[in-house]
Amino acid sequence: MARADSLAKLAWAYGLHQARRRLRRPRSQLTALLETYAPDGIRTVDPALRERHPQLVGCINCGLCALAAGRIGKTRLPELASSYMRLYARLGDASSDLAGDDPDLMAAASACPVGVPLVEVAAVVRRMATR
Amino acid sequence: MAAPSSYDVVVVGGGVTGAGVARDLSLRGLSVLLLEKGDWGAGTSGASSWMIHGGPRYLEYDWDTTRLSCQDAGHIVSIARNLVYRVVFIIPVLPHDRNNIERMETAMEVYDRFQPLKHAHPHRRLTAEEAREAEPGLAPDVIGAVTMEEWGVDPHRLVFANVQDAMAHGARAMNHTRVTGLIRDAGKVIGVRYQGPDGAGSEARARAVVNATGPWSPELGAMAGVDIELRPAKGIHLVYPHRISNFSISAESIDGRDLLMVAHAGFTLLGTTDDDFYGDLGSVEVQEDEVDYLLQAFERVFPSIRRYRAVRTTAGVRPTLYKWRRYEDELSRRYEVIDHSTQGADGLITIAGGKLSMYRLMAEETADAVCRKLAHEAQSTTATRPLPGNESDPAPVAELAARCGIPAMAVVKLQGRHGSNAEKVLDEGATSRVLCRCEPVTEGELIYATRHEQVRTLADAFRRVGVTGGPCAGAACVMRAAEVVGRELGWSASQRFEAASEFVRGAWLGRAPVLGHSGWAQEELAQGSMRGLLMGNGTR
Repeated sequence: MARADSLAKLAWAYGLHQARRRLRRPRSQLTALLETYAPDGIRTVDPALRERHPQLVGCINCGLCALAAGRIGKTRLPELASSYMRLYARLGDASSDLAGDDPDLMAAASACPVGVPLVEVAAVVRRMATR
Repeated sequence: MAAPSSYDVVVVGGGVTGAGVARDLSLRGLSVLLLEKGDWGAGTSGASSWMIHGGPRYLEYDWDTTRLSCQDAGHIVSIARNLVYRVVFIIPVLPHDRNNIERMETAMEVYDRFQPLKHAHPHRRLTAEEAREAEPGLAPDVIGAVTMEEWGVDPHRLVFANVQDAMAHGARAMNHTRVTGLIRDAGKVIGVRYQGPDGAGSEARARAVVNATGPWSPELGAMAGVDIELRPAKGIHLVYPHRISNFSISAESIDGRDLLMVAHAGFTLLGTTDDDFYGDLGSVEVQEDEVDYLLQAFERVFPSIRRYRAVRTTAGVRPTLYKWRRYEDELSRRYEVIDHSTQGADGLITIAGGKLSMYRLMAEETADAVCRKLAHEAQSTTATRPLPGNESDPAPVAELAARCGIPAMAVVKLQGRHGSNAEKVLDEGATSRVLCRCEPVTEGELIYATRHEQVRTLADAFRRVGVTGGPCAGAACVMRAAEVVGRELGWSASQRFEAASEFVRGAWLGRAPVLGHSGWAQEELAQGSMRGLLMGNGTR
């Protein structure tokens, strides 16, 4: 009974929806979507980052990069790639951890056994933390 | 055997429903004993999709479930602010999908009517180009999309927050304590026999016993000679140790089921399956074909999914109410409070079925039934009373980080688990050392959890503070965690080693089905760094 009732109500809603679509001109809703969720840190990822993303989040926190280079701001490099590079919605709250000089990221990246591009990771994390 | 203790109510089962029942009854002034055979939230609750959601899927079957679920989700979101965060779904429509874009938007328009109940925003409709602008990883043949908002939650902390509040109001709560039998008097259930973590047997007398054991309900019912019929359903998830996208994404599986890739705070859950389960509830394992079933569906919508490295899987069994001749997916998520007095087991009440999003309401109705039985007049207050850590606003992140000398990121995560109690947690143990760097988790928090949150194993530590939950899957921190927990619990060096070994063996079972090329590389590295924790006993 509940099923029949639910389907009947959905059918009615579908009719109304179709009528509304005929009467109203569709408008873009993307901007409104992004504005609504910006305070929650839910943002788009640009296509270039999307393409590289699987490599950027490949860190397994083995710690070898920390032997090649030190810290970025107050943050050890393995943590930058394993902990901060996780698209945290609240990365902005932790931006103070990243304030300071960059170490030799190229040297650190060449020590990485799984090929995490640390130069890119540092740039992406900094960008996300300041948005 | 110790002398029996006496309570108004014994609640058996420390999942979210049992913990919720214990909290509700304690707040109503009843004396409560809560028993859990494993750890808090280690069963069905922890293996869920980690969402407080209304369930638009149920609109096809039963609008009442959607309404009740949204209503209760609204209460949960208000009382557990530190534990919840918005999860926004993009629901892409592809050629040959079961529902076209108009039908999908109709469903969302109907769902929008319920969204205000859980403080969520209405849906948006996106063209194909807009959908790919929002998430460039979507397949090129997407026709369009609609969005939908839900809430994410850490179910382990949600369960423990309920346990914590129950204890704060006089309840006694024991994990790793197995009920071995029910005490009967002329048919009436008057208490339980149980075995604590040290193996010692005890008895507790009670005026009522609540069976909140989820899929194990028939087992406890059998101890009272009553038949409880469920249709248990197995569900698995793949766990990625990072957000794949800021948006959550839905996909249609090969058999037309809706699957979800859920963007949580710092990780992604991809699932879930829904299959009738007839096996041993104590060993629910993930099969490789289940993993492939999920990946196949998402590859169609999000082609790069196989380039991401999953670190583990979860598997659980839903305690779905019994129904013959229905596909698993069509089964209702409704619940039932069963008073077994008519079956000759007066004093025993079972709460069966339901879902995480309605746990508070299920607990309230179960507590109502108990109060009626005990002629105890008191109303539930759990809809409005904040859970621990939500009584006030948390301190500013930067301020707390500077004062305690820990990374701001550690404070962000800590406040997510403890809310306004974060400062109190940091003061414990007098150390600001970061123990698990992936998450990150401080040593002080693990000390606090061991002293005050009933951590008895490393798996308990994972559930309570998230230690070993990051990209290294414990390779970098499991030994250190064993040292800290072992020091607090008085373990010897060999006990600490054995605890770490046991944890790694358990974690391996959940990891093996998802290891790809880079996963194996990590596994080799982990093996080396953990100096052969798995070796010597032929486990691997």
